Amino acid sequence: MTEKERLGKVFRHEAVDRQPCICPGGMMNMITTDLMAQCGVTWPGAHTDAKMMADLALASYENGCFENVGVPFCMTVEAENLGAEVTMGSDVFEPHVTGYAMDSVLDWEKLEAKGIHSGRSQVVLDAIRILKEKDLDVPIIGNITGPISTASSVIEPTAFYKSLRRHKKEAHEFMTFVTEHLIDFARAQIEAGADVIAISDPSGTGEILGPKFFEEYAVKYLNMLLDGLQDEKLGTIVHICGQMKSVYGQIDMVHSDVLSFDSVVPMREARKNLPDRVLMGNVSTYTLEFGKPEKVAELTKTCAGNGSDIISPACGLGTRSPMKNIQAMLKTLKENEVAADA
Amino acid sequence: MAKSKEELLEQLSDCVLEMEEEDVVDVATEYLEAGYPVLDGIMEGLVDGMNRASVLYDEEEYFVTDLLLCSDAMYAGLDILKPHLPADDSAQEKPKAIIGVVEGDTHDIGKNLVKIMMDTAGFEMYDLGRDVPLDAFVDKAVEVGATLICMSTLMTTTMGGMKTVIDMLKERGIRDRFKVMIGGSPISQKYCDEIGADCYTGNAVDAVKAAKKLAGIA
Repeated sequence: MTEKERLGKVFRHEAVDRQPCICPGGMMNMITTDLMAQCGVTWPGAHTDAKMMADLALASYENGCFENVGVPFCMTVEAENLGAEVTMGSDVFEPHVTGYAMDSVLDWEKLEAKGIHSGRSQVVLDAIRILKEKDLDVPIIGNITGPISTASSVIEPTAFYKSLRRHKKEAHEFMTFVTEHLIDFARAQIEAGADVIAISDPSGTGEILGPKFFEEYAVKYLNMLLDGLQDEKLGTIVHICGQMKSVYGQIDMVHSDVLSFDSVVPMREARKNLPDRVLMGNVSTYTLEFGKPEKVAELTKTCAGNGSDIISPACGLGTRSPMKNIQAMLKTLKENEVAADA
Repeated sequence: MAKSKEELLEQLSDCVLEMEEEDVVDVATEYLEAGYPVLDGIMEGLVDGMNRASVLYDEEEYFVTDLLLCSDAMYAGLDILKPHLPADDSAQEKPKAIIGVVEGDTHDIGKNLVKIMMDTAGFEMYDLGRDVPLDAFVDKAVEVGATLICMSTLMTTTMGGMKTVIDMLKERGIRDRFKVMIGGSPISQKYCDEIGADCYTGNAVDAVKAAKKLAGIA
């Protein structure tokens, strides 16, 4: 069974030999300084060069870290396209927003999308094409920053969150504009060869929004995005940060194939509240960076035992995480498969 | 007939709780014109409303967006009342706290909320903003003689900066002068212990409680 077949089966609720082990990219960063040293491609150069981006993504797979390749390695491509100022960061810091395009949703109509065939959007599409040409057995994951996270990277976040209540009409218009851009970008990623679209929306949490606004803004535009994608794809993943206790009912309305949570959500609790969903997660990135491989192995088994269908880090990896720790997840899954056969 | 002091205090508090950014200005003006003590209007009116909002936040009735709007109403009321605060009331020495999002990260919604709540609780806040160079935490804390250094981040890739700040304090031999508080979604008590910070809290309300305890104020 190839990596792509295995992941596809999990998406379709079909039986597999063992859980796949993936790390999508985007907010769910899988690049570390060890990996950069190994393949000779480094940040921040890899954020703006398609060949370097593809090579670095491939290195993660080739070094036995994860059973996928994925680009880009940050969550600023979309916001930059919509007018936010972004710094490319350093060898250890991801690119991040340094200046917002505007301070109020009331002015959203003045925003100009540069279009997906410009700047780093094009770099990402080219990197996916390069990966596709290699005709790999592993799934290619295209990453999209979620609607709320993109919106709050374009407009000053405190003002943005307040406008969800104060200026509902404009807030919805702005969210629609942002989501339409995300649909364009995600569709182009699939056309370029992405098998899976992973959407991370860390700023659209239940803790920040509360159940009512979570449904009205986060769920609504995630679904608009998901429903706007073409059928020709392996599947979709949505990752949300923070506690889920108050919003399990709402998150279950999200139309993705897979739901992924960070490590504050106990996998057992998620499984109990979402019995029919394919769940992904959530090995502590703290342990992955500061723990020992034995501890990572233990967490991997616990996670799988508690109902995770796809094993992955709970969040983006710290860039200084040792490669041995990361490899321990996949290694553990493979060893257990052998043990189960014997 | 003019409203009683108690009636107006309750209205000030309600305006904050109900996010009435415009009404609060009218009530605060009425309170001033009636000649009631300004400090009481702030503490038992506006701040009381913010405290009630944080109780609702604790009970998961209110969420972050709600608290941000409550704080807008509180500050709108403060803008009216504060200029009329008698000198001896405003000169009171407050514990000072440095706050910021560590270098490499710009997610500041949690930091902003903690800042507002600590401000409400009687701290003098020095907000360094987001993506803050690590030595700026140390330099500013020394400059103003801070009691607390508060750092937050939402990203795994940048949390290491918190340890760097603590190491810098140690190197300069001034670690004991400050209490260091940390927070943010990838942060945990385990990480706090590991890097030798004084306190980790999981949300803004707990952060304020902990800050008051560390600073020794009621």
